[in-house]
Amino acid sequence: MKIKNILGNTVLWAFLLIFGLVTLVPVVITILGSFKTNVELTTGATFLPSKWHFSNYSEAWRIANFSTYTMNSLIVALSAVVGTLLVSSMAAYVVDRMDFIGKKIYVSMQAFTMFVAVGAVVLRPQFDLMVKLNLHSSLWGVILILISAHASIFFILVSFMKGIPKDLDEAAKIDGSSLGRTFWRIILPLLGPGLGVGALFTFRGAWNEYLLPLVFTMTKPELQTLTVGLANLKYGISAASQTHYMMAGACLSILPILVAYIFANKSFMQMTAGSLKG
Amino acid sequence: MKKQLLLTSLSIVLALSLAACGNSNSNNNSEGATAATTGEKTKISYWTGDRHDAEFIKEKVAEFNETNTDGIEVELVVKGDDFDTALDLSFQTADSPDVIRVKENTIGTFYKKEYLAPIDEYLSDELKAKFPEMADLNTFDGKRYSLPNYGTTMRLIYNKDLFAKAGVTAPPTTLQELVDIAKKLTVAGKADGAYGFAQNFKNPASALGRSARVIAEMSGFGGFGYDFKTARFDFTGFKSIIEAFKQIKDDGSMLPGVESLDIDPLRAQFAEGKIGMYLSYSSEPGVYSTQFPAKIDWAAAPAPTIDGNAKGASGFLGGQWLALSAKSKHKDAAWKFMEYMYGDSILTAYQEKGFGISMVPSISAVAKVPEVNGIEGFLPNKYDGVWPVYPIVAPEGMKSDDAFFKYMLNGGDLGAVITDLNKRYNSALDDAITNDGLVAKPDPGFDPAALAGKFAK
Amino acid sequence: MNNKTKNAAFAYSYLFPSAFLTLVLGIYPIAWAFRYMFYNYKGYGTARFIGLDNFTRILQDIQFWDSVVNTFVYAGGKLLLSIPLSLLLAAILNRGLKGKHLLRAVFFMPTVISTAVMAVVFFTIFNSYNGILNQFLIKFNITSSGIDWLGPKHAMLTVILVAVWGAVGNYMLLFLAGLQNIPEDVYESSALDGANKVQQFRYITLPMLGPVMQMVIMLAIITALKGYESIMVLTEGGPAGKTEVMFLYLYKLFFPLGGGSATQVQEFGYGSAVAFVSALIVGMISLLYFYASKRMNRID
Repeated sequence: MKIKNILGNTVLWAFLLIFGLVTLVPVVITILGSFKTNVELTTGATFLPSKWHFSNYSEAWRIANFSTYTMNSLIVALSAVVGTLLVSSMAAYVVDRMDFIGKKIYVSMQAFTMFVAVGAVVLRPQFDLMVKLNLHSSLWGVILILISAHASIFFILVSFMKGIPKDLDEAAKIDGSSLGRTFWRIILPLLGPGLGVGALFTFRGAWNEYLLPLVFTMTKPELQTLTVGLANLKYGISAASQTHYMMAGACLSILPILVAYIFANKSFMQMTAGSLKG
Repeated sequence: MKKQLLLTSLSIVLALSLAACGNSNSNNNSEGATAATTGEKTKISYWTGDRHDAEFIKEKVAEFNETNTDGIEVELVVKGDDFDTALDLSFQTADSPDVIRVKENTIGTFYKKEYLAPIDEYLSDELKAKFPEMADLNTFDGKRYSLPNYGTTMRLIYNKDLFAKAGVTAPPTTLQELVDIAKKLTVAGKADGAYGFAQNFKNPASALGRSARVIAEMSGFGGFGYDFKTARFDFTGFKSIIEAFKQIKDDGSMLPGVESLDIDPLRAQFAEGKIGMYLSYSSEPGVYSTQFPAKIDWAAAPAPTIDGNAKGASGFLGGQWLALSAKSKHKDAAWKFMEYMYGDSILTAYQEKGFGISMVPSISAVAKVPEVNGIEGFLPNKYDGVWPVYPIVAPEGMKSDDAFFKYMLNGGDLGAVITDLNKRYNSALDDAITNDGLVAKPDPGFDPAALAGKFAK
Repeated sequence: MNNKTKNAAFAYSYLFPSAFLTLVLGIYPIAWAFRYMFYNYKGYGTARFIGLDNFTRILQDIQFWDSVVNTFVYAGGKLLLSIPLSLLLAAILNRGLKGKHLLRAVFFMPTVISTAVMAVVFFTIFNSYNGILNQFLIKFNITSSGIDWLGPKHAMLTVILVAVWGAVGNYMLLFLAGLQNIPEDVYESSALDGANKVQQFRYITLPMLGPVMQMVIMLAIITALKGYESIMVLTEGGPAGKTEVMFLYLYKLFFPLGGGSATQVQEFGYGSAVAFVSALIVGMISLLYFYASKRMNRID
């Protein structure tokens, strides 16, 4: 029995280590690449940089205007997270817990947007609408469009909602809790893990969004986000891409997502087991 | 505890967003205020997708803003890959630019989209004579929309060190020589991982657009399969070119993995001395002096022809630079800025600093050779010339470049491929003529050889 | 106001923000683009009504149907590898294992790297001229000569591997979050009954993960069928169309990948028709899965 356990553990760890290594290799190459010269990086001849060019980072920081644009990116990403979670959790609650006319239509509408969505193709009508609302040169336009694309988060939350026992709603109802109160006080806290993943995915998506902020900040450079700045890294004084700066910029811009991940991981990992029992 | 966290983060976000909103509002106000107080400042904006000259242009724009006496202030906006998308959308708002950087592959589209205003009324006879008029490149329906500044030439770029090692003395002038030399270079270089020839087939249109095109044009065939004599598509001229490329690949003289090779990795390998020859544009010397410092001695030569007879002209691409927006509210001010940019000192500096090869005869006569290593081979020679603009059609099914590359990989009947291409491209052409108002008239007297030699000193 | 109308009013008021935003910024723009499927429209000038011509063209468009076949191969490969792997990882990393937080972070890492950077990185790994993978394989005598990872024979396999690399972290996280909904005491009592880890996984984890798993697979199917960005940066659909998937083909119709100085034509009308047919294909497969999984649930 013991031998079997040791054997099982060895296999388990071998699997985790090998798979973890394979996963990490491209990440490591990215990080190492961000310290190389452009030619060393593009020829791909070496694994470790032959000389460590820390200046790639200071250049990337300067060209992409990190200090100015990071704030804009944070505003966009955090607003998108809050908006998306609010809008989709409210919808998920009534769709999962209640019956009403038009529910099927609503759900198929959400599904439909997921089947199509060819990003940039719908940009023009979206932009036209924002021009009419006079939001075409503000980050609010970007945030609203990002929030409107919440179909997948909606479906994720519905599936998590199904895991929360309906007895809880019934009990709350008997205690005289209104539907709204039940949602905010009982269901939403229990939705922790789903909200955590949803927040992380939304944050990442909004953080990496390029075309929307590009278009909506055309005439207001001071509102540009980091991704727009990162795109500036690609081209310098000659026809070839400045891949070394792109890598350095990419490594820098990953950090906020990792911070978001740590938060999400912390918040959704210990929440429910306790709450469910209580 | 958790709830508190949630609430605090919520309120932070709200505060942040309100701050952002407030920011943009106050910005609006302050802008309005400055415009009101200074009164006379005329603000215009110039949009460009160029980055190679950004520092220089920035300097010149600042200089204009300081020195002009008409109270004009130019805002320079440099965009990247999405220049066209951004421009399209800006024309749906009141914030479209006043001056637009146009290129040989965008000016026609922008003209059709009615983004551009003719500049004839501003042109003095002197300016009209100084800047060559080129149909469909800066002139549409008899009206001028832009003026040339610099152009791009196409060349065969070769590794002199590898040539010396293989005992090859001169770059190839025919397809057969191209194939043979590629083979010799590979024999000499393979031990060090060097190969005779390379093409960036990750994007076949990009690969053949810089190689097959110029060989066809030098040999007297339209670079994209269009024959100006008959006003029909006929890809027959490409047959021997594609066969030669396939031969190079089958011989093993092509860098391994060209199927997924992008242009930058190709350049980087060339800089390292791993590639003997390739064909490309005059932007390459800049790459080897800055981004990928070349470890080898290299040079550029005219592209080879099919059989050694130059019956056409090596395409000199360009003919336009700045254009006036049709929606500009300050056309006069915008033109004053354009006039400044097209002044002799800027155009001369443009070539001398190596940003591009001048296409204005009076400038190229006086401007010095740029201080960029390797550029000499790219300067206009007796073969360079400006081709008329090829009609753009959308054939159903596979594009010519993809079809050719597929043949290079899989083999098959190239004659049948070409027959099929001719049929599909011509039916798309007919469709464009009947439905989209495309004009394609046969020109029996068209002589590709006569295009050449107009820029050589 | 009776209870029923009150409930309905509540439901609609909670649904409204989502429904309104989706209708205005989701459905309307799609409808705007779709109306061009009956037109010949190149992105500017006048759109010419041509009835169903675009659809007869689709029927004869070999490139499109090739791309549909490629999409099935790509999506099938990606799903078969990424779903079991991510479920396995989630199950392992959910339990008390030393270093689980670090390992979770490791598997999440790929999902934060931008596609533009991925293109460069994976080219240095996979290219057949001096790629890191081939150097490794040759050094350790696994193969004698390099494998043409991005060549016509293996390109599809390579893009699938890259896609799996980028997707496992996402699905692992969703599964992990789903596993949090399973109370610890269920495992405890089953352990007392003598169930081993594999039995626990089969009889507790899988069924209780039901709704989340169903949704993750559904999302994974849709994402896999729609995926094109990583392929675009890695191979642009090549060599010679070997990795051209449905949505990449579609993307190129709307936004031709520029080739040098040649002007490209935007096929807005035909592209809209292809977008519609592609959406139908994705929708049909998703529905098929949805009903199949519903039925399986019932039998369980």
